[in-house]
Amino acid sequence: MMDGKDKERAGGLGSYRLVRTISGKGAGRGQFSEVLRAVAVDDAGSVYAVGDSHVKVFDGAGDLKHSWATERPGFCIAFDEGGAVYVGEPGQIEKFERSGKRISVWKDEERLSLVTAIGFSGEFVLVADARGRCLRRFDRQGQWINNIGKDNRTKGFLVPNGYLDFNIDAGGIIVVLNPGKHRIERYSLTGELLGFWGRFGTRRPEDFGGCCNPTNLALTREGHIVVTEKAGPRLKVYDAEGKLLALVGSEAFDANCKNMDVAADAKGCLYVVDTVRLTISVFAPETSGA
Amino acid sequence: MTADPIEGDDTMKRGPTRRDVLGHAARGAGLVAFGGAAFYLTSKADADGVWVIDPEKCINIRLGATGIEACEECATNCVLPMSAVRAVNDFAKCGRCCICPGYYEVTSDTGPDGLPTRKLCPRDAIERVPIGEVDPEDPLNNFYDYFIDESLCNGCGKCVLACKEPAGLSSLRLEVRYDLCTDCNRCSIAMVCPEDALVRIPADPA
Amino acid sequence: MVPGLLLALVVPAVTGESVLAQYVRETDVVPTDEDIGEGYKTPQVQRPLPRATWWDAVDAVVLAVSLGLSAWIVMRRRNRHALVALTITCLLYFGFYREGCVCPIGAIQNVSVAIADSTYSIPYVVIFFFFLPLIFALFFGRVFCGGVCPLGAIQDLVLLRPVQVPRRLDKGLGILKYIYLVLAVWWAVRPVADRDFIICRFDPFVGFFRLIGPGDILIFGAALLFLGIVVGRPYCRYLCPYGALLALVSRLSWRGVTITPDKELDCGLCTESCPYGAVDEMRAVRSSCLFCARCFDWCPRERVRQEGEAAGGNRLTEPRESA
Repeated sequence: MMDGKDKERAGGLGSYRLVRTISGKGAGRGQFSEVLRAVAVDDAGSVYAVGDSHVKVFDGAGDLKHSWATERPGFCIAFDEGGAVYVGEPGQIEKFERSGKRISVWKDEERLSLVTAIGFSGEFVLVADARGRCLRRFDRQGQWINNIGKDNRTKGFLVPNGYLDFNIDAGGIIVVLNPGKHRIERYSLTGELLGFWGRFGTRRPEDFGGCCNPTNLALTREGHIVVTEKAGPRLKVYDAEGKLLALVGSEAFDANCKNMDVAADAKGCLYVVDTVRLTISVFAPETSGA
Repeated sequence: MTADPIEGDDTMKRGPTRRDVLGHAARGAGLVAFGGAAFYLTSKADADGVWVIDPEKCINIRLGATGIEACEECATNCVLPMSAVRAVNDFAKCGRCCICPGYYEVTSDTGPDGLPTRKLCPRDAIERVPIGEVDPEDPLNNFYDYFIDESLCNGCGKCVLACKEPAGLSSLRLEVRYDLCTDCNRCSIAMVCPEDALVRIPADPA
Repeated sequence: MVPGLLLALVVPAVTGESVLAQYVRETDVVPTDEDIGEGYKTPQVQRPLPRATWWDAVDAVVLAVSLGLSAWIVMRRRNRHALVALTITCLLYFGFYREGCVCPIGAIQNVSVAIADSTYSIPYVVIFFFFLPLIFALFFGRVFCGGVCPLGAIQDLVLLRPVQVPRRLDKGLGILKYIYLVLAVWWAVRPVADRDFIICRFDPFVGFFRLIGPGDILIFGAALLFLGIVVGRPYCRYLCPYGALLALVSRLSWRGVTITPDKELDCGLCTESCPYGAVDEMRAVRSSCLFCARCFDWCPRERVRQEGEAAGGNRLTEPRESA
């Protein structure tokens, strides 16, 4: 939509370059045939991808290490501090060992009606329920404590895309997207809105265009906020206060991509799902000297 | 045309002439031919059809056509003064967005209220109504219904193109309004549709 | 139901529950009525139903009854006033109410396509409209042209100052309709991409029925109507491809119009009265007689008969058909 202008503006920004793509559309073991939904990267640099009702684990070079099936279609994936793998699904969360052996399944058709993000903070597990359009705080035993973002006029976040994404920063603050309001909002664990930034606009690259953007989010080690947008698809990096730091324009993705999940690794590389090509694009930050 | 059979010129009773017999035979043959042809066609006939827009084909609706201008053939080619094709909002699929790309010209300047300043519909045929527990202060805090005034809509498809996936949820569609469609044998929109998206399907009204 | 069909077009794969379909179904999270609150109810989608199929049956019945009436009025009642009434009724129904569709003239193309292309589905009503006037023509001649066809009607009503077209010119122009018929069939049976229904495209009068149409066709139609003030039914006689079919079939017809009820007077008034040049040696030529019933008003013997009938049923003689 605004590739040229984006690139021009991005000239003054930090930049990322595509270093690798992982997986792709196909019937092969390391490929996805129909859906690639979510991505996460562990501390060792292994890439966990969820789609086609499977979890597929790739090494840093993009070779498939192993894969396993999930009970229901997976919509997100996360690791707890102990290294267990959580896959969010409609109506439930499945918990696996890194090897793929299932440890447990946590069912709640009402409060976990569509799990699109999972995060951990101290003794709590936070879950984004896209159909309930809110975040839900549970204790580690699965006991529900409170909802976050539900108590307002619209009875939740505005997520016409069907995807609600959040992350928890180093200070324990929840950073969550509200695409219908074109905002990134911050909440406390008790559900108090601490602040927000972001606005609609199609002229300035730091604004969010379309009906409902951004759609997906990740936090880097430095506390930068990485988001993706749809129509046209792009990837943007902001600091915690909303200052645009870098932008990767639509030419990097298929134009029909929507809800492109994003993850950041320890080195600051960004992993972005192309939901049409069914690839994971890996972007590395360009060092200023290079 | 003196060779044509013409009416006999008297009322005198007489037996069947050779010409009468030939005439009966020819009529019988004609009747059999017409009856046979009609029967053959009936075996592959259908109840009357209707013109519909195939959303898998229409470039304004189908996924995978990006970076294009809306195709406005439906608006300009119908034989009716206002096209029988109109935009329709399928409310059950609508996200009730505050900033509907089918309603707003999203690339126009953003106003002080944070909303685009221009509407997309060239005929201003879409009405935007806040619904639910309305917050009059903050427009972003509401859901909205989008009603299409069918007396203004001419089926240009601009809103449909703007609302389609992935930008929107494709709740806006173009449909042939059967109460308006003259059901032309030769649909003049179908003749020019670049995607051959106007197709005839059997009608089976409830 | 059509809405169901449309839905089938919109979401063809969901019932199959492929992996993709499961994902698509799960992300269907538009706000519910409860989410929106305040007693909100999702509005109904505006969706009118297509014209009910039974209306096709009404069209078919109107056609059959009109054909029967047209034949009866011309051959038995022998009364132009009644025929004009029928003509106007059919013009209003098939012309202005049904806006010129469905019609037997256009049906030529549908029937041609249906015969040539096995994938083409032709509506029952179109088959009926195509064949019924032809079958009537086998028995009685061009009864469809006289009282039923809205295209004929609109021309018949503007025919105010009829002149006789010279025989040779009339015959020469009459060949055009056969050429048009061949062209129309040829365009209709071409492959789908090149197919065109030229009869419908160049229909000169449908624009008047719909009160809108392409400018050049409206001008063509208006020109024909102007010409039609003096030249009787120029479209029917020289261009109409269905007229070509009816002319051929009428040659076989069982009965036709008899102008004089009994003894001819050799007065030749009937020949003068016919604006279509369809009376030859005081007899109606079946292939070109358009069942307009004008000649009866001119025939002295017919007038005597009708006056006698009006005076108390003391007829001079029975009308010839019943003899």
